[in-house]
Amino acid sequence: MARLLKLNVFRYNPQDPKSVPHLQTYVLDETDNMTMFIALNRVREEQDPGLQFDFCCRAGICGSCAMVINGRPSLACHTKTKDLPDEITLLPLPVFKLIGDLSVDTGVWFRAMYDKVESWIHTRKEFDPKALEERMDNAVAEQIYELERCIECGCCVAACGTARLRDDFMGAAALNRVARFVVDPRDTRTDKEYFEIIGNDTGIFGCMGLLACEDVCPKDLPLQNQLGYLRRKMGITALKSLFSRK
Amino acid sequence: MSSILAMHVAQPSRRDAYLDWLQMLSGAALVLFMWSHMILVSSVIIGPGAMNAIAGFFERTYMAQIGGPLVFAAFLFHFVLAARKVPFRAEKQGVAWAHAKMMHHRDTWLWIVQVVTAMVILIMGAIHMWVVLTSLPISAEKSAARIQGGWWLLFYLVLLPMVELHVSIGFYRIGVKWGVIKADARSGAKKAENILFGVFMVIGLVTLVRFMFLAI
Repeated sequence: MARLLKLNVFRYNPQDPKSVPHLQTYVLDETDNMTMFIALNRVREEQDPGLQFDFCCRAGICGSCAMVINGRPSLACHTKTKDLPDEITLLPLPVFKLIGDLSVDTGVWFRAMYDKVESWIHTRKEFDPKALEERMDNAVAEQIYELERCIECGCCVAACGTARLRDDFMGAAALNRVARFVVDPRDTRTDKEYFEIIGNDTGIFGCMGLLACEDVCPKDLPLQNQLGYLRRKMGITALKSLFSRK
Repeated sequence: MSSILAMHVAQPSRRDAYLDWLQMLSGAALVLFMWSHMILVSSVIIGPGAMNAIAGFFERTYMAQIGGPLVFAAFLFHFVLAARKVPFRAEKQGVAWAHAKMMHHRDTWLWIVQVVTAMVILIMGAIHMWVVLTSLPISAEKSAARIQGGWWLLFYLVLLPMVELHVSIGFYRIGVKWGVIKADARSGAKKAENILFGVFMVIGLVTLVRFMFLAI
């Protein structure tokens, strides 16, 4: 006997002055291997074509379908309904700008973050198109790849207590992004230059260590270890400059 | 001059890094102090003679007279540093509370516990230090008289769990924030945090009971 799922879905259209934020309830029969992504699509097809939510790849790659599922930011496509109780509450991710219902704009936030952390390889080396590609140590390449796996879903930012309390906090996604360039030997930025980006309370020293980012990341990125590493590295950079002249 | 310029154009500064170091170092020092303090006071379990001998040693070496006020200063200093992260506006407090309730996440709650216990400790810890430091020398009989007075027992029954929660959670959080506790050691560290809390609560409660029944 299939379960009947009760979905309480946040509804609000900020574009419509008459719209009032409220929870709307949909009842749906559960099917085998059902994910929240499948459930929401069925609600939209069978019950309410006006329901707004984002999705694209349905395989945990694009990061579009992040939302708050029973209190936890996670990907709808990664969340199996069989792991949830009969009653499920769906809210849009906090911190990000609400587009409507469960859909938020993570793009503007991530774009601004990339500008802030200067998310590109900084080098003065001139590119020679004829030269063979420079070799990289395999262990280093793997380390970079491990941090590059971020799909920019925004779950870590929505789950972050500091990000909720202050709008200018960079969040784990940005700090992880910086950590990725720190390990990349092609980026010539010094610790002091990284310090200018993240060595303050909007960056690594604003992190209060609640570790919700680590616990909700759908890609299991090593955020706890990266944040600890950056705090030590930036802390030591500050101490070093205390003992050196400028 | 530079501070006047920085009012209009943000200058790169090492201020936040130094403040974070000082918050961590003052916190770690106070954690170690609180554990030593509890163990030394609990010497009364062995007998009032043991506690008086230890108190006498700190008195003769002037560690109580000078160290006491220094600990008080460190305590206030740590509060001012850590309060930078505490939301004092009602609006932000509401956000923090709603966030913790939404997340059902242990470490997010631990932070709320630390903030609440901090406020209680600020007031009750200050009262405790004032009372003890203005009536030196410390002796088992004086402490017992206070506990047997009635209200002070209630006072310490509140202060003890507040301090032990704040200290054991703080110890764990310093570890994860500075990367001393890595991800794979986190669940073990949480267990250690619980055990430390339990052990010091038991020591504290047994000490209080001993004071209650100490012949003055």
